[in-house]
Parts: sequence; structure tokens; C-alpha cells
Amino acid sequence: MDARAVFALLVSGRLGLALSFPWLPDALKYDHMLSSPLTARLRLQEGIFLYQHDIDPYSGSAFRHSPLYLSLFTTLLPIISSPTACILLWTAADALAAYSLVRIWRARAGGASERDGLVAAAYLLNPYLFLPSLGLSTSTFENLSILLALMFACEGSSSPALLAFALATHLTPPLSSLLLLLPLLGVLLSGPASSLEDPCTFTSPALRMTRLGAEYLTYVLVLGAAAAIVVGDDTYTLKWGWVGQTWGTSLTLPDLTPNIGLWWYFFTEMFDHFRPFFLGVFSIHLVIYIMPISIKFQHDPLYASFLLIGILATFKAYLTLADPGLFLSMGILFPEVWTYLRHPLPTFLLHLHAALLLPLLHALWTSHGTGNANFFYAATLVMGVANGAGVVDWCWAGMRIAIGGRGGVAGGRKIRVKGGDGEGVLEEEKDEEVKTTHSEWELEEGWEERWEVVQE
Amino acid sequence: MTRTLKLQCAVVVVAALCVHATVASSEEYTEDLLLRPLRDGKVASTFTFTTLLHSSPDDAQHYTLFPLALGQILRAHAVTELHLSLNAGKWDYRQWHYPDHPAVATGAELWAWMPGTGADIDARWAGLRNSLAGLFCASLGSLDQRRTLAPTDAYQPLGDLPVFQYDTANGTTTSTTHHLRHATLPSENVCTENLTPFLKLLPCKDGASTHACSLARLLNPQRLFDADWHGMGVHVRWLGGGEHSEGTIELKLVVQAVLDPVRTSGGRRDWSLTSLFDRVLDGTCPVAGSSTVRVVLPSEDSGGMYRLSPEAETGDAQHPEVEAHARPTPLDVSMAWHTERVFEYPEYGYHGGDGNEYAHAPPTIHRFLHHTAQTHGVLTLSITNPARDALLRVGYLETLPALVVPWVSTLSAEVVSGKDGGMDGRGEYISDLVYHPSRALSPPPSSPPSSFWPSLASLTPSTSTLHSPSLLQATLTVPPNSTLRVQLALSKAFLRYTEHPPDAMRGWDLPGGVLFPRIHTPALLTDLPTPDFSMPYNVIILSCTLLTLVFGSVFNAVTRGWGIVDLSGGGEDNNSGSGVGGDKEMKDGEEEPKGGEERVIKGGDGEGEGGKGRGM
Repeated sequence: MDARAVFALLVSGRLGLALSFPWLPDALKYDHMLSSPLTARLRLQEGIFLYQHDIDPYSGSAFRHSPLYLSLFTTLLPIISSPTACILLWTAADALAAYSLVRIWRARAGGASERDGLVAAAYLLNPYLFLPSLGLSTSTFENLSILLALMFACEGSSSPALLAFALATHLTPPLSSLLLLLPLLGVLLSGPASSLEDPCTFTSPALRMTRLGAEYLTYVLVLGAAAAIVVGDDTYTLKWGWVGQTWGTSLTLPDLTPNIGLWWYFFTEMFDHFRPFFLGVFSIHLVIYIMPISIKFQHDPLYASFLLIGILATFKAYLTLADPGLFLSMGILFPEVWTYLRHPLPTFLLHLHAALLLPLLHALWTSHGTGNANFFYAATLVMGVANGAGVVDWCWAGMRIAIGGRGGVAGGRKIRVKGGDGEGVLEEEKDEEVKTTHSEWELEEGWEERWEVVQE
Repeated sequence: MTRTLKLQCAVVVVAALCVHATVASSEEYTEDLLLRPLRDGKVASTFTFTTLLHSSPDDAQHYTLFPLALGQILRAHAVTELHLSLNAGKWDYRQWHYPDHPAVATGAELWAWMPGTGADIDARWAGLRNSLAGLFCASLGSLDQRRTLAPTDAYQPLGDLPVFQYDTANGTTTSTTHHLRHATLPSENVCTENLTPFLKLLPCKDGASTHACSLARLLNPQRLFDADWHGMGVHVRWLGGGEHSEGTIELKLVVQAVLDPVRTSGGRRDWSLTSLFDRVLDGTCPVAGSSTVRVVLPSEDSGGMYRLSPEAETGDAQHPEVEAHARPTPLDVSMAWHTERVFEYPEYGYHGGDGNEYAHAPPTIHRFLHHTAQTHGVLTLSITNPARDALLRVGYLETLPALVVPWVSTLSAEVVSGKDGGMDGRGEYISDLVYHPSRALSPPPSSPPSSFWPSLASLTPSTSTLHSPSLLQATLTVPPNSTLRVQLALSKAFLRYTEHPPDAMRGWDLPGGVLFPRIHTPALLTDLPTPDFSMPYNVIILSCTLLTLVFGSVFNAVTRGWGIVDLSGGGEDNNSGSGVGGDKEMKDGEEEPKGGEERVIKGGDGEGEGGKGRGM
């Protein structure tokens, strides 16, 4: 089917689903799995209400969204109290995010392909993504901004990419953007094409990288100043109280509302004297992953950003289902790696297990009173294991692919073979053609023993 | 009997004025007991002990009648107006009408007007509540900043506020402004230990040890704390005189109790001082300017045929008064319904009726917190305007501790019964909305010195227990003869396990709402979701295990060298695919191809690999 038809069908299906159950956003607004204190629409609505009544929305503990949301929903789109308009906006954001994903895929695959519809479906049909979107969680916009940044980066337009990423920096917790900055610059500098099977050293044009970093920083500061003006009063004075309430929240965890992540129960149960220490450990632990993964996957920074999104989806503070959803949906971009995943089925089953346990045990604890907090904590541990298993598997497979050996000779790469019979080049253009090429070459069993493979 | 039956509000004064002692002219003391039979057979009794102090604030504190202990506290913290009440039970406005003294909030309530500026006031407020906590043996020390607000509209000063003018350095004259501090503690219990220090403030003690007796003799703790509702209050206010007058400080010590003779006397509502308090008045306070016992006669529809003893002696037909200086002691006041064998409870609340009672009946108010989930709820206030043709306009004040986060954007009001009155929408029913969200407080300076990183600890904000309450205030307009329902969604906080009280499953008390002027709704109990208190070590262990598991696996993957080792020369394992990730490949770099048979495909870290593999 035509990719456009598939896309239109999926979006209208999503919209139809959301509009035919208009009570859903209201029913899901308190759901701790779909929206965190940083992303709940109820809190956004409250913040806008306070803002419109000349009360500093950041003076209390209710509102922790970026001031940019305030300006968006008070001037351009004053629709936050209308569920139908919100559903339309959120669906549009999802559609745009799915479209970005498709364009990332096209940039990576080098043009439109039959897989476009599948890529869009992977985003729009992912329950981890459309449930938070139905609950009107602003994590939809976080994912959208990240995907937009990646899309522009993949297409080589650096300024829009950095602007979108600066927006993502403002909308998401600061550690998220810190983790993704390096791979994003890498995508800008070396392109999105898949080179997982053909690792090469990334030669860093230091000057260009610094310039891009400076541009990004400028955008962040400009948006920050805009945010400060939004929060400030009419005299265009800057107010910075929102910084601690938005960015600071995910570092210091003042709100212990349960979510599917690991932080909330850990710091509910933490001894007060060790709280700062472990807050540091949990934050730094996230940062630790940046360099190893960026270095190891320097030949394919898009893959590195994918893995770091997976790390975030496992260990971020104030996690919602939309974070692992983004990671899982982005997996569609790397079909060449699929065959090298060691345990995709157990990972899937772990996710299924977690997805069933989380709402069940949450209800047992908070509604029925037949379970306690440990029940839900156990379910979040399963979620953590599922996410962790996914990240580890993709990390492993991303490196395993480089040496081939399973499912075909080359899997889309070009290799030079040397051996007793002389020298030749095995070359394949697309991974879809692996089998035919393989059979054409008619390599006999055990060719690897007689040929030396030199990768290029 | 027939004469008194006709009276709506007759007053019997059974006073004894024996002012033989020479009382300093700057101080006056009066005492008063008001007894009011209620329509459900109970008797509301209000003891009021009033001391007036006419003196300049600069006098030395040589008091004769004014309690020195309280005077020192007021002086030390420069308090102009002070109201402290300690109450137990729920005042039932529908059955008991308005109380004779309005401070009937459940638990402890303290509010004070003080001159000065912000930080200074907070320090004095802390000193005040701690001093009062010591004086009255109550947990007023916990009325700290987490419970303190300044709802000035609902708690206007009842007296006057003096204007202190002083000259500042640059020659201008400035006057001090007064600030309000208000805090409630709904879970505070009231007991004998609070009453004993309270009685010690009176110039005539309860008479147990001296032959000078007073109305306080009737304050029998065993009967008082057996009452359906009981409470005590200390009310200090400043009454300004003329321009050059130094003003008067008025101290009112109030004890209120709703006693139930039907319960204690086996079904009859007859009462007497003996049956209510198990004591009689056997003397009067010699320093009291007046010492009166007043009885409010029941209204016609609930009165029946009764006899009051002793009978009123003087006064006009509407408000007879009795001057009974020469009345012999001991004195017992009683009221009896001789024709009534067993008291029959009337229908609950005020219904029908054409008398004044109906017109001035308090609005019926229900306030509750409901939802099935522990994590959030809906606070509902339903208020019924009993008047036939008049709009009811009341101020509505909620002071919610930071344990619950109100979502003010969800505040809604609707008329659920009765006529709409042509009004529609929130803008009509709810007006003058004021909201102050709860704000984070700076942590107490007494952080434990043994803390390894005290400076870091102060950086981490705490959860909701170190926040000020949020204040929500609005004016409600209720159409005549209808019920208005105001709803507000709120979420409950998730606290650290150390922030829960020892009996966490009991829940937390939310202070009652206030419909001003001065209707208090009962406190609410809310249960917060609790963590498992025995889990800290387990959670640390399990979470950190997962953390290290993933970190270890990723670390293992990214630091591993990659290559295909052909083991056909070794003869045991010929499967090159499964050899990936095995132990042998870690040796890449050292391993040399051993001959023509064994070839290695490598994509390792590239160290020492020469031309074979490029770095990944």
C-alpha cells in the first residue's frame, strides 16, 4: 500500500479512537504511568490557570512544565481546557512525530521505500506512545521535539536541528538533552547513513563541532530568555524562578509521585542523610553512558542516540511510558540489526509482563487497597528489566553486526575478500538483496576458513 | 411558668455582687455563665471570664487580676490581639444553631495580630506559639510555618489595632502595620491537662482550695470532658479609647460545653447545675464586678411546658432580669419539664416553621472529601441557603496543608437542588477568588551536625512536609432556598517514608473550612498512600542491582573486543558464530594467527591490529 495512504489511515484511526472516547483524557489524567508531574496535562492546566490569574505558577509545587508551554497555550493555542481541541493537537503532534520518524528512516535508507508505512505504524500504533497521548501527557511534545531535532540533523539542516534540540532541552529534563547532544552533533557532522556493519573512525572536525555547539547554546539561551520574559511580569523583567522548578525537579526529585521508573520508590525509602549522595549517583550514572556509547558507535551516531534514548527510557527520573515507547519505536529504523538481536522475544515478553502488571498492581495499591507500594515497585522493576534488556540487546547487536557471520554474508556491506584463489570484492547494496546476492556468489560452506575478510 | 413560656429570650440573672475587696481601678473582672437548652435536649453552657486592663503598655506588669503568666507572653511578643481555642468535637450548627462564642473550630486554633514587619513577626509568632504551648500544655509548638497562613479577610481583628507612630531616620513619620498569623491543628486533643493551667489564670480559682468560690467552681473536669462538645478559648483584644486614651486590654477566658442531660438522666431533658456539673454554686468570686448565670429559654416550637427555678424576678416582659444579691448560697438553677415523661427527639435540623428561628437558621453545610483512589480526591462543599427570598453571600476559606495539592482550575459550582435564581456558571456563584499556592519553606536551620554533607543536604528540597499550606478564598453566592455544591479536585502528596507519622495508616487531618463570618466546618481525615516502611534496605538493594546489571552489561559490551576466532585448529568447537563473545576473543591483540589453517576476522578495538581491522 502506498505509504501516504497508510499514514493517513493510521492518523485518522488514532483520531477516531481518541474522538470516539472523549471521556478518555479525563479518565487518564491522574494515571501515574502515562503522565508524570513534569508532563501531566492537569498540572499544565493548573499552571495556565494560575498564570492567567496573575499568580506565579512556579511559586507552588503544582506546576513544573516549561514556561514555553505557558506561552504556547495562552497565546497561540488557548485550548487547554477544551478536551476535543487538545485531542486534535496531541494527535497532530503524534502525526508529526511519526512523519519525522519516516523522514529519518528515508534519510537513513537513502530515499523513500516500501517500509515507510511500517515506520509510521511503528510510531502511531505503539501503545506506549498513544496511551500517554490519549491521556494528554506533554511527553508527546517531548518526543516530537527530539524526533524533529534528529530528523533535521539526518537531513543535514543544522540550524533547524539545533533549534529543535534547544526546544527539546527546554521541554525535557536537562539530563535528556545532555545525553543526546553529542550523538546529535555526530549525526549533523557524519550523516545518518547506516555504517554499523562497516565501522570507521569518526574524524572530528573540531572547529565545526564547536561552532555547532555554540549555536545550540545560543538557541538554548535565547529560548531561556524568552521563557524568563514569559514568566516575568509585563515590564519585561527576567525571572529565573522557573529554572529550579522545571530543570531542577528532575535532578532533586522533590515530587515522589509514582511512575514507571526507578527513582520514586528509591528516594521514598532513602535515608535522609544519603539522599544527596544517591541523587548524585542516579544523575551521574546517566551521564556515564554518554562517552562509551558515543565513542563505540562513533561510526553511526544515529544509532548512538537511539541507544542513549534507551538508557534514558530505563533510568530517567519521572519516566512515563512514552519514553520506552520512543525507544521501541525507533528500533524500526535499524532493520539491519534485527537479525543480530539475541533475545528479542524475552524482551518483548518482559515488556508485555510489565505492561500488564503496572496498571494492575497500581490499582491494587491505590484504589483497592489490597496491595501496598511494594507491588507497584515490583512492577516497575520488571519494567526496568525489560527496558534494560532491550538496551543491552540493541547495544550488543549493534556491534555484533559489524563482524557478520549470521543470516548472510554481508548484510548490506561491502567486504573485500582475500584468499588462496586471489582477491575479490563482495558487495551488496541493500539488505533486502542479501539472499539473492548470497546465492549468486555461491560461496561454498566454510568459505570463511579459506578467505580472509578485510572490512572496509 | 406560664409567664416565662411566652418569652423568647428571658434572662435569669442569679448574680452575687460582693465587691468588698478594694480592686485596683485599672482592672475589672466579670464572670458569666450562659445556659441554653437546645432543641435536641442538650444544654449549651458558656462560661465567660472577662478581665479588663486599663493601662498604658509601658506600665510595669503589676497586675492584680490580669494573669501575669499571660501578660508576660503578650508583652514579650508584642501581641495586640490573640485568639486561642482548644476544642474537641464537631459543632452541629443545624441542631445547636450558632455557638455563643464563635471559635468552635475542631482542635487547636491560634491566631494573632501583631505589629511589625515580616521576618520579625515570624520570629515572634514562633515565640508566641511556643510560650502558649508551655502555658497550656498543648502541642501548639507544631503550629509552625507548615500550618501558618495569614487569611486576613476571614480573621479580621475583633478589637482595635493601635497605631504606633515613630520618626524614622530621614525625618518622616511612619506607622506600624499589623499582620495576622493564623494556624490550626485539627488533630489536637483537649483534656484536663489543658484545663488546669487555664483555670489557674483566673483570679478566683475553682474553689477547691480556697473559700473564695466563683463560677469556675462549676468547671468539673469529669463532667466537662464527658460533654458531646467541649472547648476552651483565650481571647485577648485591644479596645482603643479616644485619641489620647491608652486603651483597654480585654481578656476573655471562655469555656463552652454541650452537655446531654437526656443521656445522663435516663431519657428526660430536665437539667440543673447539679445534674450538669455535679456541683452547685456555693459562693461568688469576691473580686468579680459581676457574677451572673443566664438562661436562654427555649423557643416555642421546641419548648413545651417547663418550669425554671429560681424564677425570674425583675425586668420587662420580654427581657426580665433578676437582681439577686441577697440570694442565699448554695444556688442551683434548674429547668424541668414535668409533663414530659420521656424526651422525644425532634426531626434533625431546622425544618419548616415560620418563626424567627427558621429565618435566622444557619446555612446547612456539608464538606467532604471523596474518591475511590488514594492518590487523589474531590473536595466537595455543599451549602444550603435556608432563606426563602434572600441570597446568601458568604466568604469561603480553605487552608489546605501541602499534603494535598488543590487544582484550582477544576473549581466548579453548581446548584443541585432548589431554584437556580437565574444565575448560571462559576462566575456567578464563586467570585473574588484568591489563591495562594503552597510555597516551599527554607529548611529549619537545625540540620543535624553529624551529617556528612550538610551543605549538600540543604540543596535537596524536601517534599510537601516543608511547605506552607495553600490558601483558597472565595465569595460564594447561594440562591434562596437552594443548595450550592462547590467541587475542587485535589491530589495527595507522596511523602518520604521518614515524613509519615508513626501511625501512618490513621491518615492526616485536614483543617476544616471556614465560612466567614465564622462558621467552621469539621475537620476531614484523609489517608495518604503509604510506602512500605520496612523496605529501605530492600529497595536500595533491588534498585541498585538493576542499575548495576544494566550498567555492567553495557560496560561489558562496549569494552569488549570483537572478532571471529576460528577454532578448527583446536578441534573442539568449530562454530565460529557461537564463539563471538566467548572468553577467547578477549585476548585479541596478543593472539597471533598460528598458521594457514586458522584465520581470524577481527573488528576489535583496533589496537595492535595493523591493517586487519579498523577501529569500530
